[in-house]
Amino acid sequence: MVLMAAIIAACGEPPANVAIRFAPVFGTRSLACADDDSVPKLTDLRFYVSDIKLITVAGEPVDLQLEPDGLWQQDDLALLDFENGAGACENGTTATNVDLRGRAKAADYRGLQFTIGVPFERNHADPLQAEAPLGDASMHWHWRAGYKFFRAGVRMPDDGFWIHLGSTGCQGTVRNITACHAPNRVFVRLDGFVPGEDVVEIDLGALVTSADLEDHVKTNCSSSPAETSCDGPFRAFGLELASGVADKQQRVFRRQASK
Amino acid sequence: MKRIAAVLSGFVLLAVGIWIWMSDSGYEWSLDPTLPLPSVPPDNPMSEVKVELGRRLFYDTRLSLNNTMSCASCHIQALAFTDGKPRSVGATGELHPRSSMTLVNAAYASRLTWANQLLDKLEDQALTPLFGDNPVEMGMAGREDVIVELLKSDRRYVELMPLAFPSDEDPFSVLNTVRSIAAFVRTIISYDSPYDHFMNGDEDALSDSAKRGMELFFSERLECFHCHGGFNFTDSTTHANSTVDRIGYHNTGLYNTDGAGAYPADNTGLYDMTGQRRDMGRFKAPTLRNISATAPYMHDGSVASLDAAIAHYKRGGRLTEEGAHAGDGRRSPFKSEFIRGFELSEDETADLIAFLESLTDPSVLGDPSLASPFSD
Repeated sequence: MVLMAAIIAACGEPPANVAIRFAPVFGTRSLACADDDSVPKLTDLRFYVSDIKLITVAGEPVDLQLEPDGLWQQDDLALLDFENGAGACENGTTATNVDLRGRAKAADYRGLQFTIGVPFERNHADPLQAEAPLGDASMHWHWRAGYKFFRAGVRMPDDGFWIHLGSTGCQGTVRNITACHAPNRVFVRLDGFVPGEDVVEIDLGALVTSADLEDHVKTNCSSSPAETSCDGPFRAFGLELASGVADKQQRVFRRQASK
Repeated sequence: MKRIAAVLSGFVLLAVGIWIWMSDSGYEWSLDPTLPLPSVPPDNPMSEVKVELGRRLFYDTRLSLNNTMSCASCHIQALAFTDGKPRSVGATGELHPRSSMTLVNAAYASRLTWANQLLDKLEDQALTPLFGDNPVEMGMAGREDVIVELLKSDRRYVELMPLAFPSDEDPFSVLNTVRSIAAFVRTIISYDSPYDHFMNGDEDALSDSAKRGMELFFSERLECFHCHGGFNFTDSTTHANSTVDRIGYHNTGLYNTDGAGAYPADNTGLYDMTGQRRDMGRFKAPTLRNISATAPYMHDGSVASLDAAIAHYKRGGRLTEEGAHAGDGRRSPFKSEFIRGFELSEDETADLIAFLESLTDPSVLGDPSLASPFSD
């Protein structure tokens, strides 16, 4: 009891519930697995979010402790899933998960940062014995011995494109990976983000509006350093294709202020 | 003293445990005594019932999204567990960039598939054809529950799964599915070819032509054995007593699309895995056992016959005169130092082919214990 009081005293106010909503767009248009003639439309969008921090007005990063639900969230890792198996997402499943749910100490937050990816240890463990949301075979890249951190597909007026992002150039053997030449984890920092009010927009248009993809958007990218079609998407993710290091500002995720 | 006693009894328990495990696994490999035992992952010991279960799963088309395809669709026994196509086709019609590899002696492969240095266990490899979506092979990603449902509803699986995994509280899992398939595939072992009979002392097992071909095969002039050496005719071989992790990947000068050694973008070999330029076009040397049954050849099935394969090595690399892949593979900077070209007369070519044909083992191609257990 004394200990409890001490903890509460030390932490100040009890932690507050925080939910962070994500929404896919293509440029300024919203994006869904539409069953109509609208284009562009989503064919797939699922990704892992980890290392999530809220930034206080004073600039202090605070961990967002996710609420483990045995389905989408571990305490520091979540799978977001926007495809509902309908329309153009015919290879998906009905279940979706579009926000992060957790707790952080009560404070005035004006920023958000997170990583798109699965932390190294869990990325290379056995997917068949992994806890949700890491048990989903469609998110695992068996021959690359890790997860697809981010998988998305868009149907365009004439064709479409897809991208699978994950670590490449790994060394060791499956379940005994020692390092990866190109980690390909995306670092996102959204200044001014107000949790509970603002939305994180995922602009898949940013992946194809790069000059080298404009003319032939059908080109897909599966994170191979050999794929010239990955140049544009990787640049949009702030990644250097050759090294897989996040060395620039990403342009795919952005803050959408509450309306 | 008490502490020492406790430690000692711990050791005794451990020793007894290991002994029970060994006697419990008690799997008998029916192999030629000259062959080493395959290495088996400690978490997936062999058993008769697991192999039988794995055989059913291997041939079960219900493991594909539209019930059209099983493992055996691309791994046909009569073709030494290949499919006879230049490149394989998935359940939804997608064309794979690669040609189906033989499963014969996969138990002895230190690395699996054409060019993946990460994959050393059949249990892990089985996940790619089941769940891969680029390209779709069996298309079961997101359908794990369908597999578990099948295991729990099919009479034979309901019976075999608990017997194959007796210590599992719930044996009906994707993990045990791939473990069973791997156990079955480990039994696809070839050791009964005319060449093996010859090596075991039967002088008449090989024709004179095949004997001359064997001389050529193991000659420094042709260099075949540098990559296709050892009892399994590949330098990527391992077994239960191996102490060295032997892996070989080689650029054989099939392509040179940019004059600087590039391979076609969808099939760059080990480079696709490592991103290291030196790995461009490097692929694993497949076993040559049953090679006469596995045409067409190479990772992309672009060489139609043994004759054409020998012609490729004779030239020291392939010249593609026109088209998207035009270029002279012989001049690739990444080419293996063993691919230097050689002189070979027509008679010698026939002898070499006679030797390669002697590596084909009719028993593994016809063994009923490796055939489909389904009657239709």
